[in-house]
Amino acid sequence: MRKNDAITLTRQAIGQWASYAGGIGLVIGIIGFIWQGGFTPLIVAILAIGAGGILIWALFAPRDFTNFVTGRQARAGTLSVFSSLLMIGIAVLIYTLLQRSVITLDMTQASRFTLSPTTETLLQRVTRPIRITGFYSPGALQLRSVDDEFFRLYTVATDGLIERVYIDPDEQPAMAQLYQVSYDGAVYISFLTENGEVDFTTLARVPSSDNQERDMTEAIARLLISGTLKVYFETSHGELDALDTSQQGLSGIHNGIQESGLITASLSLTELVATGQAVPRDASAVILARPITQFSAEEVAILDAYLQRGGGVFIMADVLFNENPFLSQNSLFNQYLWDNYGIRAVDAAVVDATASERTPLDIISAVVFGATDIGARLDPANNTATLFSIARVLQVNDTPPGNVANGRVILSSEQSYGETNLRLLGETNTYQPDNEDLPGPLTTVAWAWDQTSNGRILLVGDSDFVTNGLILTGGNSILFTDGLSWLTGLGEQIQFGVQAYSVGLPLVFLDTQTLDIVAFVTVILMPGLVLVAGFVVWLRRVRA
Amino acid sequence: MRGVLTVFRREVGQYFASPVAYLIAFALLLITGLLFNTDLTYSMRVKPAEAALIPGFLSFALVFFAPLLTMRLLAEEKREGTLELLLTAPVPDSAIVFGKFLGAWFYYSLLLALTFIYQFILLAIAQPDIGHAISAYLGIWLYGGAALAVGMLFSGLTENQIVAAFLGMTALMFLWLGDLAGQIVANLDLAYVLRQLSLQGHFSTSFAVGLLRAEDAAYFVGIIAVMLFITIRIVESHRWR
Repeated sequence: MRKNDAITLTRQAIGQWASYAGGIGLVIGIIGFIWQGGFTPLIVAILAIGAGGILIWALFAPRDFTNFVTGRQARAGTLSVFSSLLMIGIAVLIYTLLQRSVITLDMTQASRFTLSPTTETLLQRVTRPIRITGFYSPGALQLRSVDDEFFRLYTVATDGLIERVYIDPDEQPAMAQLYQVSYDGAVYISFLTENGEVDFTTLARVPSSDNQERDMTEAIARLLISGTLKVYFETSHGELDALDTSQQGLSGIHNGIQESGLITASLSLTELVATGQAVPRDASAVILARPITQFSAEEVAILDAYLQRGGGVFIMADVLFNENPFLSQNSLFNQYLWDNYGIRAVDAAVVDATASERTPLDIISAVVFGATDIGARLDPANNTATLFSIARVLQVNDTPPGNVANGRVILSSEQSYGETNLRLLGETNTYQPDNEDLPGPLTTVAWAWDQTSNGRILLVGDSDFVTNGLILTGGNSILFTDGLSWLTGLGEQIQFGVQAYSVGLPLVFLDTQTLDIVAFVTVILMPGLVLVAGFVVWLRRVRA
Repeated sequence: MRGVLTVFRREVGQYFASPVAYLIAFALLLITGLLFNTDLTYSMRVKPAEAALIPGFLSFALVFFAPLLTMRLLAEEKREGTLELLLTAPVPDSAIVFGKFLGAWFYYSLLLALTFIYQFILLAIAQPDIGHAISAYLGIWLYGGAALAVGMLFSGLTENQIVAAFLGMTALMFLWLGDLAGQIVANLDLAYVLRQLSLQGHFSTSFAVGLLRAEDAAYFVGIIAVMLFITIRIVESHRWR
């Protein structure tokens, strides 16, 4: 080591370093004091270190210290400090202005940080202030930064009508509880009241998936239509109870409908007949969740009038063992469906030994027509197969009347059959294939759409799939939500085609030889050439 | 301007005449080469090739690498006693600082340009997101400039190169760790401010993911401007005595 490389400790040097330590200590201490709004033991300690540093400076290098305080150095130093602070101030000002003006350029091939035209069109419908509320603890600061980058696109696109607020759930646990926050990074969306406060009646959690734009835009779409769609549950024919929280109840789907921004209400066809009223005008759909008894001619007329107005009816028809059961083969309503929509229920239960769970009566969807809006997300090979318990056989007329379109959504397997001896099934729970039974595959879910009136019917040969006990099994919830979306037109209002969004570009395909060449060039050749060049330079310096 | 160019040429010449600069380049290329090949092997089976792989690595490596490039800029001049000579030359103090800084940034840019070969290889064998890569490289170029400016400030504070490098690394480490402030600071507002001050916070969630934000570019340019301004004042302070 050369002499000059050694660190020489002189009084002057000690004084100089003490002055640095003292200055830094005082600055940090003052900042801490301002930040905390008072003294804390740590701030006092830092200030003490700062004062100690200044004292050591004054003791070890008194001339420097005096010069600093009174001499030319003090004047020039003070000027430098103030000019540096001014410089920092200017830099911060420019930074803040640019931050507020949100000037960005999305360089990604898939335009990952640009709102799609569909989202922008939707945002033009935003006329009321909306708040995005995110709950992020300090530990999720990076996540917040990434999310905010995306959320602020919505703020800019709506000229500030959509605002963002971030809350630390650790600091404000009561607020987190109010929103029912269950994880760090949870995001909620809601309208604001006239007072600028969150309208909790419109509060909804924004789902979190890989596709942020879809999640947020669909949440906004749901918010915009919330309160405009109303779904009625029919109650006068012994249907399943929409508020029942037991395994056989429908509280799960009832709450799900409400969380989607739809309003729910009950409806009694019997009462409507008695009072001479029609299905309410605001009904987007009527759900018949396993009626037990047959509909009268007047009730069928009320439903017909509703369908002629463009209504939607969701029918869940179980295999029933009572007298005059709902939708028995020769009943009035069943005949109405066949004559007008080309679909009907058959007095037979599906028995499927191939596609079933515990018993051949617990059938799994074997074939799904994915081309329909209702079946698009139901993939039997992808854990979204539906599970029905004692499903009813349905029939579809392939040449429906008038301007009606109809079709199948779910079929049983080729090996299944339709047990027609329902009495035996009901009394002894036994079934045997015979000549009177219907050969598989059999339809269990069918749809019909009158293209003139826009009346829509979804007929499902089961009701157990929507009960609390089974709704979360496989694709049961998907069948219900997508079916209801199709009936109400909700899907058309909130679903949008997101621009080509590439999560990952194609993988690399290389043979071993090419891979070896790449490795040689990048790991050996290039660094090696640089090393050789360095060696030559060193050699020339040594020889010189 | 002529003064800046003169100092700049002298600095660049010194870099190319120094074996240490070649050793740094060798080490950088060796590490990035290994990284690239590892990622390439993964991208044959597991995931697509990473467009911002090298800039992402450099954002951390610069914490150690930038002070090594800047430690001698002013400290050596002070130690050798040539700073006084420079100060008597007919060039303003700002020209000395700018010239030296631009020399270091130029050398860093050359090193960065050497890593373009990985992008060219990717272009030949796959379909990398070029826009994403350009954004990441632009970001790490600015990031590098800011890191060099910080390193140069500490080179101006002391005449010992090792102390200058150590102080530079410590400061850059703090500026890098600011991105993770939330993990250690319980106060969200304070954590947010610390993150806003960090170099990584203005790179990892913008440039590195393919998004150019004016404020992030302004942050790096601002850091360079402020650090150079203070360095000029430090150099100037030699005249006060």
